[in-house]
Amino acid sequence: MKSLDEFQKFFNQVMMPDLKALDDRRKKIVNRSAIVILLTLLLLLLATVIYLNLDASKQDNNSVFYFILVLAAIIIGAIITGNNWARDKTFYSDFKQKVIEPIVKFVSPELNYEPKNYVGSDSFQRSRIFLNRIDRYSGDDMVHGKVDKTQIWFSEVKAEYKTTTTDKKGRTKTTWHTIFKGLFFIADFNKHFQTSTVVLPNRLGKGFLADFFKKMNFSRREKLVKLEDPDFNKHFVVYGEDQVEARYVLSTSLMRRISEFREKHPNHLYISFVNSFLYIAIAYRKNLFEPSYFKKMTRFSLVQEYFEDIQLAVNIVEDLNLNNRIWTKQ
Amino acid sequence: MEGFTTLLIVLGVLVLFAILGYNRLVRLRNMAEKAFASIDAMAKKRYDLIPNLVATVQQYMEHERSTLTEITEMRAKAVSGNLSDNEKVDLDNKISRAMGGIMVAVENYPDLKANQNFIQLQGSLNEVEEQLSAARRAYNAAVTDYNNACQMFPSNVFALVFNFKTKRLFEISEQERQNVDVKALFNK
Repeated sequence: MKSLDEFQKFFNQVMMPDLKALDDRRKKIVNRSAIVILLTLLLLLLATVIYLNLDASKQDNNSVFYFILVLAAIIIGAIITGNNWARDKTFYSDFKQKVIEPIVKFVSPELNYEPKNYVGSDSFQRSRIFLNRIDRYSGDDMVHGKVDKTQIWFSEVKAEYKTTTTDKKGRTKTTWHTIFKGLFFIADFNKHFQTSTVVLPNRLGKGFLADFFKKMNFSRREKLVKLEDPDFNKHFVVYGEDQVEARYVLSTSLMRRISEFREKHPNHLYISFVNSFLYIAIAYRKNLFEPSYFKKMTRFSLVQEYFEDIQLAVNIVEDLNLNNRIWTKQ
Repeated sequence: MEGFTTLLIVLGVLVLFAILGYNRLVRLRNMAEKAFASIDAMAKKRYDLIPNLVATVQQYMEHERSTLTEITEMRAKAVSGNLSDNEKVDLDNKISRAMGGIMVAVENYPDLKANQNFIQLQGSLNEVEEQLSAARRAYNAAVTDYNNACQMFPSNVFALVFNFKTKRLFEISEQERQNVDVKALFNK
């Protein structure tokens, strides 16, 4: 586990030159974009002035129409060339390669980073955390590799489903609903098991009625598992196919570790254990590992955020003690 | 006539409640019994490992001979069957304690600790122990549900009428509950 101090050193000594170069390019992009916007506004202003000064009565309508057409063509052309001039085609991929990848390698050299790859929808569905039908699935920033004895994979993913409604006039409207957006993490769990156990955020609280509704979850084939850790039960509801195996997986120490992990990370946490694999979905509002055009790239706090987001995922292995291989699974 | 109809309806509702209440108690009792059976299954798995463990360990351990024979005897008794549930539980606890003792003693035999056979066996044993503990926890959860039904109104009325008795929870033995004294372990 790397400390923040170590990262600060790495940031100053190794990353700085690349960050400076990238920041120059970022500034250039922002400046040029500003120029393009300004010039466009100026052009529009000019066009308006010319148009207002045109005495339409003295000329026939046709020539005014052509004049406006030509003016519009000039403005659109200027915007396109201006945008091309302002754009930096490789900035985005260079950012991933020169900022995110070194951080991943810094956290652990055994990890690989693939900016365009992501955890597949089949794995997402295999986790049995979200049972909705998926109509659109995307993601990026895949990290995978071994942390000591444990193989891990994680990436940003977004899963959506759509609904279509038809109004009285026969027009159809499609709406997209997000099922999950955030970090999706998979690890090879340290125990063997065959059934599925799902740990979901407890949205119903506690008490007789809450328990009743938790039990009445018929959308799942897993049944409610009542565990004995009150702190854990306050924040999570557990469903499992097998009452004994659910408890075999969720040992008292793992429950405590999950509670502690949740405290460190207030976002919604979904966990499942299926066929000897551990799946964790952590909901995020923000887009992870993306460049910010309006913040200075050499500012430590910005890069620190990337580091902490990666570190959080990689540290799950330690936080949940997955390298503890004292059972028959190696 | 009207009074008679009302009486019939009230009676019908009461009978319906009784049936539902009774069935619920039976279901909960069956679940508790099923959970107990899974403890038994895990315990058997552990018994199967004991001869292996003894065979691997006895070449190395000189001072623990008596414990090893004791374990072998206990296992034979457990496997023979014809034990009541309470006796099974007691014997299980004794075996747990004896095996815990052996695992601590292993620390004195570096050769044994490095033995590949033993390492594998230790993994299997840890696994069975964890499964056993999971089965016990599942049993306790099922029994708690059942006991609640036996003691809480209105189902306690049916429990009384149909003679459903509360079941005992698995208690974590005093020895297991004590925190491990690391210092004492090192001073040995």
